[in-house]
Amino acid sequence: MIFKKKTVTIVYTVRRCGSCGKESRSEFVAGDCLFAGSDCPCGKKAMVEKIFCNTMPAS
Amino acid sequence: MDWDEFFGLDDGSPFMMLIWILPIAFFVLYGQRIQLYISSSDIKKSIAKLSKYADGSRDELLQYLGARKEPGRIDAFLDYFTIMPTDLDPAGIVPKIRHTVRSREDHTRRQLKSTYADLDEYELAKVQTLLEIATSLRLLYRVVNHLYLTAKKQKNYPLIVPLQMMLPFIMEEAESLSGAMSAFKLGQPVGDSIGPMVVGRMMLETEKRPAAFQTVYSETEYDGRTMYLVKAQGPAPSVGRLGDAVEMILSKNEIDAIIMVDAALKFEGEDSAAVSRGFGAAIGGIGTEKFQIEQAASERNIPVFAIIIKESVKEAVTVMTQDIADRADDIGTQVHDTIKQNTEPGQSVMVLGVGNTVGVQQ
Repeated sequence: MIFKKKTVTIVYTVRRCGSCGKESRSEFVAGDCLFAGSDCPCGKKAMVEKIFCNTMPAS
Repeated sequence: MDWDEFFGLDDGSPFMMLIWILPIAFFVLYGQRIQLYISSSDIKKSIAKLSKYADGSRDELLQYLGARKEPGRIDAFLDYFTIMPTDLDPAGIVPKIRHTVRSREDHTRRQLKSTYADLDEYELAKVQTLLEIATSLRLLYRVVNHLYLTAKKQKNYPLIVPLQMMLPFIMEEAESLSGAMSAFKLGQPVGDSIGPMVVGRMMLETEKRPAAFQTVYSETEYDGRTMYLVKAQGPAPSVGRLGDAVEMILSKNEIDAIIMVDAALKFEGEDSAAVSRGFGAAIGGIGTEKFQIEQAASERNIPVFAIIIKESVKEAVTVMTQDIADRADDIGTQVHDTIKQNTEPGQSVMVLGVGNTVGVQQ
């Protein structure tokens, strides 16, 4: 291959609520860190379970 | 063989003979120099890239510091060097190396603290890590450039061959380090953080106590066994001082097994995020922590088990990939299996999450 395919890397933060089990995925924002708590719509606390990146071809 | 025919002399033409002989003589005399020029152009391109990475990381660091930046101070930090203790008499060299490296770390931390007094510990740790990356990139550039210029100055082709052989590996590391800047700037967990991630999850809901500098531990129960969980204190970027922590815990408690969870470099052709189990102290770095843990374990006859997650150099220092993050649960299960298989209820086990704990709480 002569030219490298352009790629984009997006970092995601995955939260899971310990009570309702709801899992939500959003783009990483500064300040997110693993196992930090945040509010869940069910009124309980959700926890950051994973932070990871996905690399995909740029459209 | 008819030599006259071979050299084009059968027709008696001296011109035909020259067509054969001159290039041979030319390549015999100047072949190495031509190879030097060809290799030089490849190396020059790589050096230009290394220079770009080194300057880029410095600029990124200054940009991160924003209004606080003091380019003069930062450039002075980047030029710091470490003279390793002499190994003419290798006995007792490890504590000397540890002392030298820690003195450097402590000095840099103190200097940064006095220069940027308004930064909290978390930000200071980030700046120190970014500084280390920028220093490493600058060192790579300086060493490669020095070897190249020396070979060129002396027109010494054999001198450039080892450099040419090593360059792909050096470039891989430089590209990875350059890519690591953004992850550490934003406090995102990197591939190397998988060990602290696994142990950090086990530490949730437990009382965390300081074990050593930038290192915490907690005590919990698993299947009738007492577990001592140890990791660097997150979410600031740090690898902690696990050697000191192990010594401290062993001095106060009876431990029957040590389990170390760490990221390890995969061989070419191996799958990323594959998990392997083995024996021995799974910890990288310059080797002083490894020495401390091995020494403490062997003195007390404690078996050391290792669980490693295979990654490439780039994966280890850039943001954690989904494949690696998804293995955390599996690794946790393997830690529990190892405990059950190697200890009896009532015994104690120490689990170490080895690696940089950037972006990982506990």
